[in-house]
Amino acid sequence: MTFLAVVARGLMRRPVRTGLTLVGISIGIAAVVALVGMSRGFVASWTAGMKSRGVDIVVHNMRGSLTPKAFPAATRDRIAHLPGVAATCTISVELMSIENSEMMIVSAREWGGFSWENLKLLSGRMPRDASERAVVLGRTAAEVLAKKIGDTVQIETEELTVVGIVDGGALVENGSVILAQPLLQEIMGNQGQINAIDVRVTSGTSEAEMRRLCEEFNRLIPEARAQVAGEHIRDSQGYRMINAMSWGTSLLALLVGVLGVMNTMLMTVFERKQEICILLALGWKRSRIVRMVLWESALLGFFGGILGVALGVVGVNVMKTAPAIRGLLEPELTVGLMLTAVAIAVVVGVISGLYPAWRSSRLTPSLALQG
Amino acid sequence: MEVAANPATAPACVFEAAGLRKEFDDGQVQALRGVEFRIAEGEFVAIIGPSGCGKTTLLQMLGALDRPSAGSLFYRGKSVPDLPDPAGYRAHEIGFVFQAFHLLPTFTAVENVQIPMFETDRPLAARKERACELLKAVGLEHRLAHFPAKLSGGERQRVAIARSLANGPSVLLADEPTGNLDSENARHILELLARLHREQHMTLVLVTHDMSIARRASRAIQMKDGRIVFDGAPPSLPTPTLT
Repeated sequence: MTFLAVVARGLMRRPVRTGLTLVGISIGIAAVVALVGMSRGFVASWTAGMKSRGVDIVVHNMRGSLTPKAFPAATRDRIAHLPGVAATCTISVELMSIENSEMMIVSAREWGGFSWENLKLLSGRMPRDASERAVVLGRTAAEVLAKKIGDTVQIETEELTVVGIVDGGALVENGSVILAQPLLQEIMGNQGQINAIDVRVTSGTSEAEMRRLCEEFNRLIPEARAQVAGEHIRDSQGYRMINAMSWGTSLLALLVGVLGVMNTMLMTVFERKQEICILLALGWKRSRIVRMVLWESALLGFFGGILGVALGVVGVNVMKTAPAIRGLLEPELTVGLMLTAVAIAVVVGVISGLYPAWRSSRLTPSLALQG
Repeated sequence: MEVAANPATAPACVFEAAGLRKEFDDGQVQALRGVEFRIAEGEFVAIIGPSGCGKTTLLQMLGALDRPSAGSLFYRGKSVPDLPDPAGYRAHEIGFVFQAFHLLPTFTAVENVQIPMFETDRPLAARKERACELLKAVGLEHRLAHFPAKLSGGERQRVAIARSLANGPSVLLADEPTGNLDSENARHILELLARLHREQHMTLVLVTHDMSIARRASRAIQMKDGRIVFDGAPPSLPTPTLT
């Protein structure tokens, strides 16, 4: 009989209580997996969208929000001619409520810019020119909005005709309502204003050269910021806020798990007071008793973690089908995140077991002879 | 930590107590009031007396389960209260047999016997082998995989005795080992303890309030109100019988 068998047997004494404790800790871990997976997925999905459009560098003014703030379109002229810049395309992107969808990406692109190139028509056609009051929908956006060719989509007070449904090659692209930039500028009253410049660098440009180019852009455009595509999302205050909220919510859920495990282990120690005293009387060292309690709580954490990861994966897959999320992001559930979640659960288990373990170490073996 | 040896202790002396006192509740309760005795290697000593006379407290002192309030207690010349590793002392030198058996309910007989062996270097397979041998020695080779709830009182106490022998102790401390058994099982358990004492030349200290059990010992220490009132051959018996 191994020491681990002794530990496992301790947990199996009260299977219902052990099961409920596992559920308690697993909810906290599921929250970690789901929320952190979603926030990381947000970055990954938007980065994939950039890659799909062939964007290498993004010039933006994304300080305190998820979507960049507006700056003059003419800014582009200061960098377009620089060596290493193959092409630029000005962008206006908004996250807004459209009809029944609470949040949808509206992506307006410079007419004729390279950011139209990745769009493959599935049905219909592209807008004829920048002035046509028309949009194309990414295929997921079309599903979410339940629109087909010829229907209209209302953006602010304007009704625009759906002329095409496209595959953008990435989740964010497919979840977007796409239109010519001048049209959105007119609707939003932001003529001459953009909120991003997509930059494609010449082929063969290294990562280091791209970073040098970003530094050059930043010198020439102090009112905006140039970053390698994807990094601008990760560095934005909006993303940091979402990430912090994800962890904050997760930590609250974990705190509940900690209290649950601690309660269970304290009950276990109190219930098994005489048993622990007998073990001490039989020659077990106090350190072994402490290890036994800590191992029990760590095992609770471990199995709670496994259950939590499973719950988190199921939860995320349910959540990503919700209309508010669908097309906005693909949750990123990596093996690393899952292992981290299980490791957190084990640490939570051990921390929860510290006080009960200390209590168990204070018991006196003479109680074994009483009763 | 090296513990000072008592130069007066002869090699054959296992326990030596002098002025041993134990108080509880800030002196309100005096369980032991200056107890003195010597127990030699291989003795079978019965500690007798009514409830509350201090005999279980004395057993706790001998087993390093509790510390005396005053006085000295030596085990083979080493001060028991000052032992650097009391758990090691309990694990290797002492075997405990309790009145209420105190088997762990979620472990089988063979697993219960292995519990004290966790504090040894014995490999896993050897622990199980040793446990099986011990259970065979107490006549329970057919009950190895039984949980305590499936064993009779006498069988449980036999498992507990096997457990007490797990690490080959030289002293067996038994606290009312037949207190929860019917007379038939009690007789078997006493015979088993006496046989172990005789065959393994163990020092056996047995606490009881039953004079008929005390008469089986080679020596009886009678206690009253925390003091020893008699120490000698069991009274009213010509010669102690061990089997």
